[in-house]
Amino acid sequence: MVTFGELLERHEREIFAYALRLTGDRDDADDLYQETFLAAFRGWPPPRSGNERAWLYKIATNKAIDRARKQRGLVSLADLRLAAPERDGVTLADLRNAIRLLPGGQRAAFVLRKIEGRPYQEIADTLGCSEEAARSRVAEAMKKLKEAIR
Amino acid sequence: MTLEPLMSEARERLITRARREDLITVGYDTMDSPLGPLWIAVGPRGVVAIHYGKPDERELGRISRTYGPAVLPDRRRCDRIEIELDQYFAGRRRAFDVHFDLTPLTPFQRSILAATAKVPYGEVTTYRTVARKAGNEQASRAAGGALGANPIPIVVPCHRVVATDGSLGGYAGGLDAKRRLLALERGEARVPAGGWPPARKV
Repeated sequence: MVTFGELLERHEREIFAYALRLTGDRDDADDLYQETFLAAFRGWPPPRSGNERAWLYKIATNKAIDRARKQRGLVSLADLRLAAPERDGVTLADLRNAIRLLPGGQRAAFVLRKIEGRPYQEIADTLGCSEEAARSRVAEAMKKLKEAIR
Repeated sequence: MTLEPLMSEARERLITRARREDLITVGYDTMDSPLGPLWIAVGPRGVVAIHYGKPDERELGRISRTYGPAVLPDRRRCDRIEIELDQYFAGRRRAFDVHFDLTPLTPFQRSILAATAKVPYGEVTTYRTVARKAGNEQASRAAGGALGANPIPIVVPCHRVVATDGSLGGYAGGLDAKRRLLALERGEARVPAGGWPPARKV
């Protein structure tokens, strides 16, 4: 049986990094990380044993989408630097603004695919949608980002 | 900038919230001791484990099977026992006041450990004597097994139990650790500044 301590040790770094990428803000990432693990502790056990990691990503994603709906906060430059390195002449400020404008579901799909490099099947599981829908969210996010930073 | 400092602050806040919500059944911490790091776990009824070094999967499995999965790092929960252990290693404490919990053990193991807990500071007894006090003098080998599986060494002083021929027997923390604890209790040795050199595990 996995203990909460083991769950933290195994996954807290990647969940925190994911939270940072999703929110682009360290305080929000801190809150999101806490909310994710507290929800996991309260809702233990996961629906499928041995699938704790995917379950945590799903919780984090849903919490991030809820938060994004409630508040559209500014993304701080320093945190975005942690989340996504500057490249191709795109300034972090441009990227920050563009990511900020993405709807929650597209933002999560974009981060999972383009920053975390996850397979589409896993993204679909995390977002609770079909693989096709996950692909289309990433494509839509990419299109919007390209337009925004052109 | 790396994630780690942000991460550990976030973890502290998470643990505080989990504690407030009563989501922690067993809290654990690692403390430095003259015998090296000790991993300590405290459950709802007292100390459930003191482990030399990091606990292995078997140890964690035993705890989670007994107390459920809500086993989390919680320094505050371990404060009392850590203070008492520090005092013990400094030669300022001869008996422990903290409660301990032997729930997951069999009645035989519990009776062996209860008899061991009565061996006074600085004295030694034998496996056979402990077995007799637990009600079965013939069971000295089984007593050795029960003491080898003692989840709370030092507090339940299994280091004070030796073989009938006067040899040390065994010890979870290694025989060097057993020797050092006995010497400390007899006033033959003091803990050197910075602790003892790393012990050989036997």
